[in-house]
Amino acid sequence: MLTPLTKSEWNYSKAAHLLNRAGFGGKPEEIRTLADLGLESAVSSLLDFEKSKHQADAMAWIDDTGRLDRLEALKKMGQEARKAQGEAKSTLEMKRRELQREVQKEQQKHLLEMRHHWVNRMATTTHPLQEKLTLFWHGHFATSIQKVKDAYSMWRQNEVFRKHAAGNWRHMLLAVSRDPAMLIWLDQNQSRKQHPNENFARELMELFTLGEGNYTEQDVTEAARALTGWTYSRTRDQFEYRSLMHDQGSKTVLGRTGMLNGGDVVEAILTKPQAAKFICQKLWLFFVDEEPESVVVENLAGQFRRSNFELRPVLSSIFSCQKFYDPSVMGKQIKSPAQWLVGSVKMLEIPLPQPASVSTMLKSLGQELFMPPNVKGWDGGLSWINTNTMVHRMNFVATLVHGSINPEGQEMTKRRDARRQDRETRRSKPAPVAGWARSEKSIDGLIASFEKRFLAVPLRQEQKATLKQTWGGKSIPDEKQLRGIVQFLLAAPQYQLC
Amino acid sequence: MRNPTFYTRRTFLKRAALGGALCSSVPSFLSSTFRAMAADQRGPLQVETGSNGRIFVLLQLAGGNDGLNTLVPFDNDHYHRARPSLRLKKSQLIELNPEFALHNALSGFKELYDAGNLSIIHGVGYPNPNRSHFRSTEIWHTACDANKVEKYGWLGRYFDHSCKGSDPTVGINIGRQTPQVFAAKNPLGISLDNPENYKIRKNHQGAGEKVMSMNGEMLSDDNDSPEGETISAIGGSSKSGLAPLDFLERTTLDAQVSSEKILAVTRKTRVEGNYPNSSLGRSMKLAAQLIGGNLPTRVYYLSQGGYDTHTNQPGAHQRLLSDLSGSIQAFVQDMKAQKNFERVVLMTFSEFGRRTAENANTGTDHGAAAPLFILGSKVKGGFLGKPPGLAPADLTPGGDLKYGVDFRSVYAGILDRWLEVPSAPILGRKFEPLNFI
Repeated sequence: MLTPLTKSEWNYSKAAHLLNRAGFGGKPEEIRTLADLGLESAVSSLLDFEKSKHQADAMAWIDDTGRLDRLEALKKMGQEARKAQGEAKSTLEMKRRELQREVQKEQQKHLLEMRHHWVNRMATTTHPLQEKLTLFWHGHFATSIQKVKDAYSMWRQNEVFRKHAAGNWRHMLLAVSRDPAMLIWLDQNQSRKQHPNENFARELMELFTLGEGNYTEQDVTEAARALTGWTYSRTRDQFEYRSLMHDQGSKTVLGRTGMLNGGDVVEAILTKPQAAKFICQKLWLFFVDEEPESVVVENLAGQFRRSNFELRPVLSSIFSCQKFYDPSVMGKQIKSPAQWLVGSVKMLEIPLPQPASVSTMLKSLGQELFMPPNVKGWDGGLSWINTNTMVHRMNFVATLVHGSINPEGQEMTKRRDARRQDRETRRSKPAPVAGWARSEKSIDGLIASFEKRFLAVPLRQEQKATLKQTWGGKSIPDEKQLRGIVQFLLAAPQYQLC
Repeated sequence: MRNPTFYTRRTFLKRAALGGALCSSVPSFLSSTFRAMAADQRGPLQVETGSNGRIFVLLQLAGGNDGLNTLVPFDNDHYHRARPSLRLKKSQLIELNPEFALHNALSGFKELYDAGNLSIIHGVGYPNPNRSHFRSTEIWHTACDANKVEKYGWLGRYFDHSCKGSDPTVGINIGRQTPQVFAAKNPLGISLDNPENYKIRKNHQGAGEKVMSMNGEMLSDDNDSPEGETISAIGGSSKSGLAPLDFLERTTLDAQVSSEKILAVTRKTRVEGNYPNSSLGRSMKLAAQLIGGNLPTRVYYLSQGGYDTHTNQPGAHQRLLSDLSGSIQAFVQDMKAQKNFERVVLMTFSEFGRRTAENANTGTDHGAAAPLFILGSKVKGGFLGKPPGLAPADLTPGGDLKYGVDFRSVYAGILDRWLEVPSAPILGRKFEPLNFI
């Protein structure tokens, strides 16, 4: 067991830290509630999300049964066009392109809606840790719609991550290995006994379970053989085991020999002590800090194996341990773009911007959900930050703090479409800053209170001086000035940390 | 002080401190950054390039380019045996000599070759090759041995050694994520993908509208596109000798210093080249604009993704190389028009080549050594290095091509002969610089 934090050390700022890391932060009242619970109950209130069900309306198109037909029609048209000759070929090709454009337009729309839906869920859920873990698993089993080309499959995979978020690692591995989006993403559906495809087998060991250097090339080849037959049926739109495609012969994977199949590969992996260490280390990296001591990893891995790969106890240990609340950890993590955006709308108490804006922000900040840059996922940490992303973070703060319309509302009166005006006004209303300042009597008190609300890392003296100089006249700043102060804080380097 | 941009930075800091610009958190960390920069002034400085210095452009072909179908040993029986369905026919080739031909998508490369501006290096790789995209990319970016881990990139170490106190635009990465090759103890270099968005807006009015009007990334418009897309980019992770807050302050400062300049330069500088309408085409065009605008940049980094051609390779590879060739052709044309071609050397690399034998899905799997291209008016045109043997006995046990040239000899050539700094301290030890300049 890792040394737990003592009860007396628990306080408001540690509760804020827990809510930042195990969730997406929150407004002062939420943090206060968590702080009042005490450490143990605070951790379990986040972790025991399966005790109550979060109600969320899924996207309307989730139940669309025409999707597969359209994809199938497109595929058929492509095949026919390839076979056809002369004029017939060009007619078919034109028709195919037309349908393809339609399908793509629809997919694009679904992708934006799905991103918005998920980010909004992160921002509004009563189970923030479940969504935080879902985000972790999405980065771990990084799959992109660029290749899967089907929003529905991507969402179904997302639901797998959500379902097993803090469940059992073995169940998660098996579910993901049979997930259609994953089967397509890593070519597993193309793997057959005559020609096993190594893509999934390799990444399963390199990126998902053991890490580079903890298996041999021979293991990859043999595991690929064992996994043949695990495929995706387009017509039934689900995982399918095809025995005719499966290599029935004997294989040796990670020292285990026999007529192995996909499930046996997962078992062979899990018997390796490295398997428990690898995922515990990755969880630590995501939730705590960059460089876990090996004794910490050993400790968590031991607990993980003893609990037969249940994730919840390990997560509980992480969020309860002293190290998690160490000064070297608190306020030292760079917020991912998702964390930045969700945390911002929560702290600013504003609704999430509309789908196209959310996608644009995530893209500009370097974390396009459902479209990771490669199968390794996002590198995170300092990699989130470069001059480009800093420019965008600073600019998007303006949008969030002030709303998408200027305070006088001039932009909107020019619009002809009154309904649209209404909709956008609702969606992009500025942060209710005035309410937060009401009880403050001095500029110093105001700055201190805003600092506590928004920053995990204190401002430097010079920053405070600038704030006072610019806005600290005789009285409390007016609403527009308050917004300026909030914008200053959210554009500060400190705000990028949690 | 030979470093005019130092004053730019200082002037900027002063102005920002007095002006209290809306987004500026600058004044706050003025002092600490300033101290750090003062410390930077020690050690040898490389003179800024300005409008006459040398420029190095590094272009990664991410995903592992199939070297054998890029520079094709078309007269070799082993090639035809290893590639029964993927081998290129004579009509798909541009012959360079009786042994080797380029994929016919590389017509731009042929022009450069004929003009003596293209140096082709056979069989570049490293001992104990790694077949992981990520590990091998890391090895190429950090120039470390395959059994060692190194935090900083070889260009980052060049910044640390030779560009202390430089303007942050000494290195420009065109893309959204900083490549590990730029990772440095004291990070230098900026990243941007679209100069119109690379601007800190002075006030918030209209900012929101701007966000609304930009669209999210469209899905790839090409349904025939093959399964190369598991690797659209590999940046490698960023490391720095700075604590997170210091790193953030430094980056914020660099963003503020560089953003106004970049936009001014790109708005003012027009380029004429006919670039493909692709991500690489746009990146190369931006690089040409920035070079034309006389930024003090010594190094540009760009990346083209999609080379992980496990399945249906022919069409994909054709498109990728055609995009590459067209982009480089337009870029060279612009460099010549700007009279900057003499200042530029461009090098391509990929984390690995692909397996000699094709796989069952009309594709190829991860391999090892591959040819590498260097172009510029100052390079020695023609071939360097010994072509790797293709006979089964000449391959590695895994069926890969054996390397003949250590990639770090190529880096040493760039450092010693082009950037004119001693390579050994940057590469960790002495590698014989390859003689391509």
